[in-house]
Formats: sequence, C-alpha cells, structure tokens
Amino acid sequence: MIRLKRLNIGTLILMVVFLWFMVSFVIVPNLELIKSVFFSNDGISIEKLKSIINSKRAMQGVKNSFLLAITLPITTTIIGIMEVLFLEYYDIQGRGFLKVAYMIPLVFGGIMLANGYLFTYGSRGFVTTILLTVFPHMNPAWFRGFGAVLFLMSFACTSTYIIFFRNAFKNIDYQTIEAARGLGSSDFKILLKVVFPTLKPIFLTCTILLFQTGLMAMAAPLMIGGRDFETISPLILTFTQRPSSRILAAVLSLFLGLMQLVLLYIIQRNERKGNFLSISKVKTTIKRVSISSKPLNFLSHLIAYAFAFINTVPLLVVLIFSFTDYKTISSRHINLKSFSLENYRLILTSDTAYRPFVTSVMYATAASIIVVLVMMVIARFIVKNKNKFSTILEMLIHIPWVFPGLMFALGLVITYSHPQKIVFNNVLTGSLVIMLIAYVVVLMPNTFRFLKASYFGVDQSLEDAARILGAKPLYSYIKIVLPIILPTALAMLAINFNSKLSDYDLSVFLYNPIAKPVGVVIRSNSNSEAGIEGLALNFVYSVFLMAINSLVFFFVYADGKNTIKNLFNSRKIKNES
Amino acid sequence: MITFKNIQVKYDNFVAIPDLTFDVKEGEFFTLLGPSGCGKTTTLRALAGFLKTSGGVISIDNKDITDVSVHERQVGMVFQSYALFPSMTAFENIAFGLKVEKKSKDYIKERVAELAQMVELTDEQLAKNVSNMSGGQQQRVAIARALAKKPKILVMDEPLSNLDAKLRKSLRKDIRNFQRKYGITMVYVTHDQEEALMLSDRIAVFNRGKLDQIGTPDEIYNHSKTEFVCKFIGDANYLSVRDMGSIGLNTNRFDNSNKFYIRPEKIYLSKEKRGLIIGKIISKEFYGMYAYYKIDVNGVEFQSFQSENNADDLAVGDDVSVFINFDDILSYSDEVKSDD
Repeated sequence: MIRLKRLNIGTLILMVVFLWFMVSFVIVPNLELIKSVFFSNDGISIEKLKSIINSKRAMQGVKNSFLLAITLPITTTIIGIMEVLFLEYYDIQGRGFLKVAYMIPLVFGGIMLANGYLFTYGSRGFVTTILLTVFPHMNPAWFRGFGAVLFLMSFACTSTYIIFFRNAFKNIDYQTIEAARGLGSSDFKILLKVVFPTLKPIFLTCTILLFQTGLMAMAAPLMIGGRDFETISPLILTFTQRPSSRILAAVLSLFLGLMQLVLLYIIQRNERKGNFLSISKVKTTIKRVSISSKPLNFLSHLIAYAFAFINTVPLLVVLIFSFTDYKTISSRHINLKSFSLENYRLILTSDTAYRPFVTSVMYATAASIIVVLVMMVIARFIVKNKNKFSTILEMLIHIPWVFPGLMFALGLVITYSHPQKIVFNNVLTGSLVIMLIAYVVVLMPNTFRFLKASYFGVDQSLEDAARILGAKPLYSYIKIVLPIILPTALAMLAINFNSKLSDYDLSVFLYNPIAKPVGVVIRSNSNSEAGIEGLALNFVYSVFLMAINSLVFFFVYADGKNTIKNLFNSRKIKNES
Repeated sequence: MITFKNIQVKYDNFVAIPDLTFDVKEGEFFTLLGPSGCGKTTTLRALAGFLKTSGGVISIDNKDITDVSVHERQVGMVFQSYALFPSMTAFENIAFGLKVEKKSKDYIKERVAELAQMVELTDEQLAKNVSNMSGGQQQRVAIARALAKKPKILVMDEPLSNLDAKLRKSLRKDIRNFQRKYGITMVYVTHDQEEALMLSDRIAVFNRGKLDQIGTPDEIYNHSKTEFVCKFIGDANYLSVRDMGSIGLNTNRFDNSNKFYIRPEKIYLSKEKRGLIIGKIISKEFYGMYAYYKIDVNGVEFQSFQSENNADDLAVGDDVSVFINFDDILSYSDEVKSDD
C-alpha cells in the first residue's frame, strides 16, 4: 500500500497539479504522436511508414544524419583528445591562451556559432571575401554541405571533451605514468597503453553523446548544410511547417526517439560496467612533458594554435563586426573608420530590435525558475518518501530524457492544435504559453537529477539535530537544508537559463509570432532576405549571449564567487599593509 | 533516571530489538557497546525519540516518554558526524535550539557564553564558521549545542569514530573529565572496546539486539558473562577441554564448562624453571612498553603480553615457566548459547 501520510495539503495540491502537467504535456503529446503515425481512421496502419520509405528526400535525410552521426565522433575525438593533450599533457607555450580558445565552444555554440561560421566562411563571408581577392575563380560557396557541417560541428563538439575527458585525464595518477616511464616506455606508448585504457569508459560515453549529437543536429545542417546536405532534424522542421507533410515529420521524429532509446540503453550498459578507479593511496597530479624532438614540438605547437585559431576566428569576426557600421558589414572590408556603436544603440533603443532578446530572457528566466522551484519540492518529496508513488513520479520526470526534444515539440504541436479536454478545451499551439511549457518539460530531468543528488548529500543527522533542538520541518528545511542545496539550485538556475536563452531547436516549433525568441530571430536574420540590419543585430545578439554564457560559466564552473571574494580580500590585505 | 522496560523495535518485519530492559542511574556514564548492526544506535535513537518503538516503555525520572516527541524529551544529542549546521558559525549552532524556543537575545548571548566556557571555546572560535574548525573544536561545539537547552540527559552516538587515533585519545579524556565535572547523565554509543572501558561507569554489551551483559568495566573485562563478551571486549587465548588437559590444568573445578579463555596479560612468563607448566617461546614482537610472545606448551599455543622489564630477559627459543591463576580463567559451556 502506498503511504502518503507525510503529505500536507500544500504538497498534495502541488502533486495533483504536477501529475496533471505531466500527463497533459509529457504523456499525451508523445502518445498522440505515436497514434498519428500508426493509426488511421481504419485502425492500425503502416502506410505512413511506407510513405517515408518512398520519400527520396526523407531517406536521403536519414542517410545524411547517419553519415554525420558516424563521422562526427571520429573527427571530434581526434580534435578533442589533441586539445586535451595540448592543455594537460604536453608542454605547449601559451597554454593560458589555448585554454581560453579551446573553451570558446562552451559559450559560443548552437545557432550563434552557425551564424558566426556563415558570416566568416559562407559564400559572402568575411574570410571568403578575402580569399576571393586572392583566388578570384574559387567557388564562393566552398563552405557548404557535409564537409562544412562536419568541420563546424567537430570543433563545436570538442566541448564534450573539454568538460568530461579533460576532467578524467586530470584525475589520472601521475605515478602510473612515472612507473611506465621507469620501465622504459616512450611517452606515446604510455598514452596508448597506460593513460587511454583508463579513460575507456569516458571515451565510450563521449562517442555515444557525439553520435547522438550528429544524428539530431539541427542548426549546423540547417544553416551550413543547405539543400546539398539535409539531415533529419531540419527535415522534420520543414515537414512540420506544411500540414500535409506533418505526418512525415512525426515518423522521422519517432525514428529519432527510437535511436535515443537505443543510445540511452548503450550508455547505461556502459555505466554499469563501471570505471577504472585509481588504486593509488597518494595520488599525484599530472606533470606536463616537453616534446624533445624539435620538429615534433614545432608541429605540435602549429596544430595547437591552428585549433585555437579555428575556434577564435568566427568569434572574433562576430565581435569585431558587431562594432562596425552597415557599410562595412555589407562590404566585409574593414578599416579604422568602420567602427561604430550604432548596432548596440539600435538594440538598446529599438523596440523591435531588443524585443526578441527580452522575450528570450523572460522565457528562459521563467522556465528556469519554475523548473528549479518545482523540482526542489518534488526531489525532496522523492528523497523523503520511498514508495511506489515516488517511483512512478521519478519515472515520469525522466520521460523527456528518453524522447528527443524535437519529437516532444512536434507532439505538442500535433496534440494541441485543436481543443483538448485535458487542457480545458483550449488550443495551445501558437499560444504564448506552449513554448514555456516545453522549456520546463525538457529542463526537468537534469534539474531533478542534480537536485536529488544534492538532497542525498544532506546528512540526515543535520535534520535530526534540528529536530531534537525543537525545529519544525519547514524551519529546519529553510535554515539547514536550503543553504546546503542552494548552490546546486542556483547553478541549475543559471545552467537552465543559459541553455534556453538562445534555444532554437524547440523554439522554432513552438514560438508565438508576437514573441519571437532570439534563437529564431538569429536564424531568420541570417537569411539573405533579412538584409544588413538583421546581420548586424545578429552580431550584437551573439555578443550579448556570449557575455551571459561566459558569466554563467565563470560563476558556476570556475567558482567565480570565490574568485571575486579572494580578489577583494587580497586587495584589502594589500591596502591594510 | 532512565528506564528501558521490555522495549521492542521493528523495521517492517525485521525485529532489531526483541526485548530490552535496563536502567541508567543519574550522573552515570553509561555506554552501549557492541559490533556494527547489534542494535546499540537503534537503542540510542529510540531514547532520543527518532525511532518509534513497537513495544515496551521508556521512562525518564519515572515519567513515561515513549510517545513524547523528540524535542520534548529533554535529551541532548551529539551525532556521529557532529551534524553541525555547515552554513552557520559556532555561535549560531549553539544558539539554534534557543532561537527555536524564541528566547531573548540577551539570554541566548549569556547562555552561549556560559556553554562556551564549559567546553572551553574562545570568542574568536565562536565567531568562526564550523566548517573552518578542527575536529576537536567541532566536537566541543556539538556538545555545547546539545547542552544549550539544559537537557536531563546527553546522548552521544560514536562521536570519536571519524577522528584519527591521537585526537581520539585526547578527546576521550576531555569527554570523561567534562562528564565528571558537571555530573551529566550520559549515554554513549561505541564499538570501540578500549573507549568503552576507559570512559564508562557501566557498560551494556549488545549482541544481535540483545544485552549479553551490563556491568562495570572491570566486571565486563575480567568477568565476562558470555563467550561473546569475552571475545568482543579484548584478546583472549582459547583453550578446549583437551588443551587444558594437555597443559596440565584440571577442568573439574569449572563445573560443566567446556570452553576456556585466558587474557594474554594474565599469563606470566619466567625463565626460572620453577613452574608446573613449561613452554617454549616460538615468536616475539617488541612494542616498546611491552612485548608480545607466542609460547608452545605441549602443542598448545598461547599468546602473552609481558611488560618490558620482563621482556628483556626472554628470547625466541627460550624454555619458560608459564604461570596461570585459576581465577583468571574465564569458562563457558556450550549450553549457554552465544550468538557469536
């Protein structure tokens, strides 16, 4: 029997509302999508599946997606590992600069990055314009199709290696390397035989994540791939826009859902195999080795800086051109007179210019606050109540993880394009609220996992201590538990805000025309029809988004709060002395 | 002062404590001792009110507190991890219970100062965040916080288990001196035999949810009632009836006993061959203040601790006289079922 005696009236109401929300916006849309694919008026039918198989364009899209999904892990792994080695293993000059350059994809990604690449290497891009003056007969559309998408994504996805692989690499016990060296192994052999085998589980996880990213890629194939290289996600978007082909979009998204399930299964199996743990009692940190061969050392420096250059150029181009006038942006020729603050003035003063940014900030803020607050209560409830109800609740929260956002967005569009009783006969498709709902749903699983882990980290005896001293549950939650989980809650707030601020993949399906989010605007501004003003605005949007992303990373990952505190303290000590 | 009468604690269908009865006197340092999972912490948590008992009565000063809520029992608790609130200073931790009781600011200040003096915490330490304090300081804050509301009883759940050996030894003394000085009734949980022997007025030895013996440290160590207590409380040489015969010790005086134990320090060795039992030293480990010997007597191996004065004279291969006092032999029979 399920025991719910600890539920107070407030929690009970929240649970009822939450269950309604989950059923309405997680279960029903996915079921509707499946129904629309496999059921017709005559009952079960596979006609729609056949129509996909017969569609040349759709099948080419599936092939392209698989091609990208298979090649991306290979190229990114090569680049990612090299970047990590340049930062953590080999003694490369200017490591500080390289570190910053390799971290650029963390703050400059998605639709922003695709836009940056397009302006840098596209047919009318800055670099292309320079190249055309040197090679007038070259094809201006050289940066297009599979190769361009793979190039862009390979560098953009190195963030996976910079976060996961680098951390794991830094945790390797240096004594094992020294032991191998003492036994006569060369540095390269040590990497292959000692270091990399230890990191095998991380390799596998990164590979699977990259396969998934390649398969579901949206922004890069859409903006750089063009008609030459269409993949599943942009095709779903195209098919969704026409009601007649919406069913094709549904079939494709179901296919993505199926792939996601397979990949999640592989990841879980991989995790279950466990990791190689250091058995060293006294760990020593990795010491960088200098490359003794001069030609090899030169080559390493060359590659290291080439990678940094590739990451930096689109960002610098966006940053510099955001400070130039329309004429310069149009001609791509820059001189000292080109610089102006006009684009920034426009964004800060023109209603139409700043509205998308404000819209995105509002949606991202609202979604991240709602999801963090609700998950704080739900996670606490689940941690404190181990019964069938809490198990079901936990499973429900993880559903958005199992299905790709695209499939879920399409499910929402299909389900709520006509009145539905479960939402009191309202039509939600095209409304202002549907995008917020979608943001909240996709942010739930991750937020829940982090908050749950944080609650588990709270020593039960702290609450017992408060209880024995007479504190009521709410008082001890506010005074004792909340300060402990607050850093995680704030970090999740910031990360969620960041991830939805420039969102394109979900927003493009669900936005209301009167409240276009910035991700969608950047995409439409990158079209040649949008004109120079749109391009100029894109630069400023990108700069603002980058600045916000960087701030969040600084505070959440780089312990920014303590860095600033230490800075002030050291100044205070200096002044006092 | 504290009475446990026929207490039973169940976790779903598992009976952790089947039937527990004991009492603790006022001002006593009472220790619940036993291996992991024997029910000592369960007993302590039942006393503090964190666990609901499924049978029996717990009373303090003859007042039934079995169904009284946690904070009304007048029990202060020091947790294994100290459970200090990490976001607060030492002062705020100590004052927490008083603030909950909505005491005036002046009273809180005065009471915290009084407690700080008791546990020897300075004003500077009181202003520190507890995360920045040493293990010893944290323990003092935990004790002061537990005493802030003037409880009748102070309970401690393995408060020294997370500390290094040196600090543990020094804090043991602090706890003992503090309890003696202020005469607080204390119920202490530990699995460390040495700690229990050193600190306690009386010890209750738990074995699988049941009490095997309650007694003073001397009674527990030198007159262990059960084979489990004998083996758990310290090292002992086991001798079967046959072994006793082999070394020439008559078992008739031990009634129906068929298992015999002798503590290593109760076996005296001498080079002078004037004893009845003669053995050979087969190994020696020198530990500074004492030496540890293995002796073979007619195929029966003994362990013996000897102080350094004696140890100097004895070497591996020496024939030695082995002296055993019959009163030092602890005897048990199979009839007394031990769960060990």
